This record gives sequence, C-alpha cells and structure tokens, in this order.
Amino acid sequence: MTTATAQSTDIPGTVVTPARLRRSAAARRHRYSRIKMWLGAVCAGVVIIPVLLAQVLPLQDPVNGSLAQALLPPMTDGHLFGTDANGRDLLSRVLHGGQTSLLIGCLAVLVSGAIGIVAGSLAGYYGGWIDTVVSRLLEAQMSLPLLLMLLLVVALFGPSILVITLVIAIAQWPEPARITRSLVLVEREKPYVAAARVLGLHRLTIIGRLIIPNILQQALVVVFLLLAQAVLLESALSFLGAGVQRPYPTWGGIISDGRQLFITGQWWLVTIPGLVIALLVIGVNLFGDGLRDRVRRTKAAS
Amino acid sequence: MTCGPSRWSGPDTVSYVLKRLGQTVLTAFLTILTVFVLLRLAPGDPAYNYAPPNPSTEQLEAIRKQFGLDQPLLQQFWTFLSNLFHGDVGTSFQFKQPALQVVMDRLPYTITLAIAAIVVTTIIAVPLGVWMARRNNTAPELGANIATIAGQSMPDFWIGFVLLIIFAVNLSWFQPSGFATWGELVLPTATIAILQIALISRLVRREMVANLAAPYITVARSRGVPERDLTWKYAFANSAIPVVTALGTRFAAMLNGVVIVEVVFKWPGVGALVVDALQRRDFPLIQATVLVTVILALVVQLAVDLVYPILDPRVRLGEASS
Repeated sequence: MTTATAQSTDIPGTVVTPARLRRSAAARRHRYSRIKMWLGAVCAGVVIIPVLLAQVLPLQDPVNGSLAQALLPPMTDGHLFGTDANGRDLLSRVLHGGQTSLLIGCLAVLVSGAIGIVAGSLAGYYGGWIDTVVSRLLEAQMSLPLLLMLLLVVALFGPSILVITLVIAIAQWPEPARITRSLVLVEREKPYVAAARVLGLHRLTIIGRLIIPNILQQALVVVFLLLAQAVLLESALSFLGAGVQRPYPTWGGIISDGRQLFITGQWWLVTIPGLVIALLVIGVNLFGDGLRDRVRRTKAAS
Repeated sequence: MTCGPSRWSGPDTVSYVLKRLGQTVLTAFLTILTVFVLLRLAPGDPAYNYAPPNPSTEQLEAIRKQFGLDQPLLQQFWTFLSNLFHGDVGTSFQFKQPALQVVMDRLPYTITLAIAAIVVTTIIAVPLGVWMARRNNTAPELGANIATIAGQSMPDFWIGFVLLIIFAVNLSWFQPSGFATWGELVLPTATIAILQIALISRLVRREMVANLAAPYITVARSRGVPERDLTWKYAFANSAIPVVTALGTRFAAMLNGVVIVEVVFKWPGVGALVVDALQRRDFPLIQATVLVTVILALVVQLAVDLVYPILDPRVRLGEASS
C-alpha cells in the first residue's frame, strides 16, 4: 500500500531496469523538484518580463486617461485589463506600478540578505557577546507586532521608496540571520576551519573567504524566497495606505484605490492586480522551493 | 495515561513561570517605550486632527494642553508610567473615554476571529499535512504541495476581496462587512485560514516526513504495529511539539490584530481600530492597543510552553533546552 512496502516487494530477484529506475523515489523527487522550478519560472516570468518591458511595450499612458473611457470592463476598446475610475488603462498601470514593487522587493531583499548573512555568520562564528546581542535582537523582533511597527515607521519617515525598502529589509533580516547562524555553527567545527586556524589566518578571512562560500548556496535560497515575502509585504503596506505614491502607484496601491468600487460591480480593479501579485509570488515560491530541494540533495550527497 | 498538574510540580516550573512572566513585563515595557518614542518623534501635530477647521493658535494650544502634549517628552513618559501603575492607560483623543475601555470593547471580536481561524486551521492542516507526509513523493502529493505553496503566496487582502466578490456580491450568501450575525464570521475566517492552513500543513508534513523515516518507526513496523498507529501514536506524537508551537505562535500573532483582514471586512476588532488610531494620531489608544495585545500574545506563548510537558513527558520546564 505504501511506497515503502511496494518497493521492498519489487527488489528481490529483479533486475534494475530503466523503467523501474524512473519510478524510484529519488528519480521522482528529482522530477518533482524540476516540475516545481519550471512551473515557478513560468509563473514568475509571465509577470516579470512584461513588467521589465513596460517602457518598450505599446501601452497607453498610465497616468493620464480620458474620463470618457472610465471604468471599462476588461477586453473592451483595446483595454485588455479594462480601465479605472479615471479612465486610465489598468494593464499599463499594473505593469508600470510593478516596476516600483519589484524594485522595492529586490532592494529590500539585497539589504536584508546582506545584513542577515553578515550578522548570522558573525554570531555563529564568534559566539559570546556578539551571539547574545544578535539572538536577543532576533527574539525581541519576533515578539513585536510587526505590521503595526512598520506602519508606524512609514508614518514617521514618510512613504518614500528608500524608507519602505529599509522597513521591509529590517522586517526580514531575522530569517537569513537565523539560517546563516545555524549553518555557520555546523561549518565552524569542520576540519578545514581548524586547519585554517592553525595556518594563522585571520578570523574574518576564515569567515569571509572559507565559511561563507561554503554556506552561500543554502543561504541564498532563503534570501531568494524572501523576495516573495517582500513583494507581499510591500503590497500590504500600500494597501493600508503606507505605500509609495508617485509617479505610479504600486500594486497594493492600485488595489486600495479600487476597493471602494468592487461592491458596485467593478471587480477587475481589485482582482486583476491581486492576480498579478499572486502569480509572481507563487512563481518565486515554487522556484525557490524546488531549488531548496535540489540544494539540500547536492549538499547531502557531497 | 497519567496527566495533570504533577507534570508541572516542583520548584523548577514555578521559577520558570515567574521568570517568563518577568520577561513578559520587560518585553511589554520595551515595546511600549519604543511605540511611545516613535509616536512623539513622528512629524505632524495630533492637535490638528481634533481642532475645528482653520484653528487659531490658542485653540491648538488648548488642545495640546488638554492632551498633555505641551509637556516635555520625559515628563510625558513619566506621567504615562505612573498612571500605568494605577491601571490608567490614558484617555482616547477621539472617543473621549478611557483608551483601555475602547480596546477591551473591541478585543472580543478579534479573539472570536482568531479562535475561529485557528480551530479551522488545525482541523484541516493537521490531517492534510499527515496525508502529504504519508504520500510523500507521489503525484497527488505534488499537487497538494503546489496548492499549499499557492495558498501561502496569495496576498490576504486579495483573497478577502475575491471571497467577497464571489460570496457576498454575486451569490449574496453573506453580508459584505461588519459583524451582525455569526454568518459574517465565515468569510474573514476563511481568508485567514487559507494562508494558515498552507503554512501549518507544510510544517506538519516536514516534521512527519522526518519522523516517519526515523529508525524507531522501522522497528515498530517490524514488530507489526498497524500503520495507523505508526502514523498517529508514534510519528505524530513526536511531531506534536513543533506543530503546537507554530499554532500557538500563529494564534498569538492573530491577537495582535489581523489588521488587513479586519480592514477588508470592516471587522470591528483591534486591528482595524489601531489602523484608524494611527491615521488620527490617537496616541493613548495606540499605546493601549499595543500594550494589551503584546501582553496577551506573550501570555498565550507562555501557555503554549506549559503544554509541552503534557505532550512530551521528557520535557522539564526550567531546564536548559538543547
């Protein structure tokens, strides 16, 4: 009934055939992680490529619309996604707004990944008071009402791209820091580190030149998955009114603008931008998950 | 099965609980200090929000004096702290009544929503996760796996709007907002549960896969223990602690206000309250909300820790964990 018993009945007296090999657990795992990565790449690519090409594609003006064309449903008059209350083409707004959303997401992930990997590896390698400070900071941040704090800080410093990027980065640094710390704790005890120490290398050299390259692959998968969270967080913030306003609203902002209208039947202003966010985040998460399966396996094999 | 207070007896547990309560007070104090300072640093004068249109300098001055905002920052904080010791968190600027009272009036709605969401999540996510672990690396499991990734990838406000458009606008099964009858609980609960089910079921799957591969399962299987018992009495019993921890953390986080879902469904809970208070710069109300929800969340976490010795007799509270 279970896979384990099915295999054990097959093994005695049989030859390993290619067909049987393809059905083996390891081969299936490999195939499934590849399916996830392909599916993820397609989902994310469908969103990312048009967003990157927004300036090149023949789109209508995302800022100025004609009121005569206000609130057209999708697929009418050459408006693939319809128009909003000011007669602006929704497809064009979603693609232009996506550039801001993606920019904030990527920058935030770079910053939080850098902070997290540096803080985590220092805490893991040095231990002592550095570890105590980093671990306490991680714990303290977990017990704070996160979204409320983010809203507060954005209200304080104003909703510029820089502020929102930093706010998201600060919200996200615990994840890579924790993972890196635990990876470094394991790596620190390996013979090559002891050898480097005996050779008299400086501790920062050992961390930067030897340990980090060895754990980078696993840490970067976690950082990559944070991109999905960053896009979600950014859209949540702008949905609550703490998002970048100019020159184009981000995805959350477009949804926030349209939310008063869905009761009267203008469903597309809310559902379509949300679908775009969901598609991108699903793509990134699927790809990252498949990647993580693969990295874990190559690590286990080596 | 022996159970009950004997698991918690001994001076270790008492000192553990006291230590944790001390940490709770400290964390709550640091949080409220941070919020207090951030609020006062923020640009913009709250007096404008509560003055008549085109206020004169005297009117603004009077309002600042009334709210105690004319005092130096340290003086304000000292007043706040000494009032706090008498159980007074201040008077809400906008409601003109004790801020604690306003928060307490809204709290039952948030707690109701949080309990409903966590119950639905547990009922669905645990069996789903166990099923995924039992069927690991099969085509149906791949489908469920991708579905749970999708579940944790959708923005919660978007799920809320889609559910509203389908079930409230088009099918008219539910009222679109507010809380009048129990029927209105369905859509917000479903919105929260979709995300939580995805997260928790993946955790259950991960724990169960690891436990099902452990040697003790092989030994038990060779002794002829039925598969059902292997799954639930052996592997799941050993996966319970991380799962309960995650459920507890999620529940505690929801008590901090399910901000977005409450805003989407115009639910009268503390999450929607605090967003409103933030926009109107109602300082005492923000402070009261943060204080109450942070303490509540920390108490829930402590309660979860106290459940560990029941789930796993090897756990002794107060001893150093690995």
